[in-house]
Amino acid sequence: MSRSDVLVDAAWVESHRDDPHVVLVEVDEDTAAYDKGHIRNAIKLDWQKDLQDHVRRDFVDKAGFEALLSERGIGNDDTVVLYGGNNNWFAAYAYWYFKIYGHRNVKLLDGGRKKWELESRELVTEVPKRAATHYTASDPDSSIRALRDEVVAAIGTWNLVDVRSPDEFSGKLLAPAHLPQESAQRPGHIPSARNIPWSKAANEDGTFRSDDELRELYSGAGVDFGKDTIAYCRIGERSAHTWFVLHELLGQPNVKNYDGSWTEYGSLVAVPIELGAAS
Amino acid sequence: MTASDGCGAPAGGVSAPADVGDQAVVQGRVTHDGAPVATGYARLLDSGGDFVAEVPLGSDGGFRFFAAPGTWTVRVLAPGGLSGDQSVTADTGRLAAVELAL
Repeated sequence: MSRSDVLVDAAWVESHRDDPHVVLVEVDEDTAAYDKGHIRNAIKLDWQKDLQDHVRRDFVDKAGFEALLSERGIGNDDTVVLYGGNNNWFAAYAYWYFKIYGHRNVKLLDGGRKKWELESRELVTEVPKRAATHYTASDPDSSIRALRDEVVAAIGTWNLVDVRSPDEFSGKLLAPAHLPQESAQRPGHIPSARNIPWSKAANEDGTFRSDDELRELYSGAGVDFGKDTIAYCRIGERSAHTWFVLHELLGQPNVKNYDGSWTEYGSLVAVPIELGAAS
Repeated sequence: MTASDGCGAPAGGVSAPADVGDQAVVQGRVTHDGAPVATGYARLLDSGGDFVAEVPLGSDGGFRFFAAPGTWTVRVLAPGGLSGDQSVTADTGRLAAVELAL
């Protein structure tokens, strides 16, 4: 696995966006962004309406994922290129999700929607029509997803990487600063977690830092590359961004994203919590 | 859904007056040559210069953050290499207004 297998740049997208076997997918919480303008031939996925179970707190099951991709016209052999706002947070979450269900060829547009917009590249409002497919998903790959019991067992043993901002880590804020401050029952972080905000892995234009810079970032903050790792944030999308860095860019073998993240952990009864800044 | 359901950016810009309540709101507008900057991004940096949050600008050039009491920096990025920084102090129950001309 190398950077060129999992990341594409704007020039690549501009020369492949009319290829019927390349499916551009914009993934945003703010679906108004897609409607206002998107890369030509891009379809959209709504991380919440499309990717979450509507009853229990979980993502859609295998049959649901198959139905979704079939309906959107994505085939098993298509190259899926994901991009979105927020420095690709939700695009990275969708990338992780496509990997959970075994999609072979999936990539991120480096820099996402922001870099594309800041470079004044073309955005259109026309919604492409793709013929339905018969998509077949694999069974969910649990090797890249952490559930709460594994997280509690990993305290003091695995690398726990808390990718939220320092103020969320210390307990000063319960949510990112562009959202109202409400969510888990308790603020703080999982004991033994290192605080390495996702944003440290990105340049200001949203692109990923170089492999050398990334390795230095995590090892300098106390991540032992010889150990297994769990990344978490508040709901699992910023930590999907860090999962992408550790697992896909740096090729670390055992990295899991804890998508329950702080909204689950900070509401659990009788688990340890630490407050205060990183030591 | 409400904005608080996710970590992602809410719909760009500031479409309605913020219900400040017990929040420490940083809100503002970005202009260039007197006109709103409708395409661009506002990011909130903490007192150490570290990234805290980022939102797309609304069609009126507006942005809003729910911060915590303290001193913050708003940095704006817009096409054409335009950018600008502004320091702001936020307090609980108050709306701290920022006007940024690039």
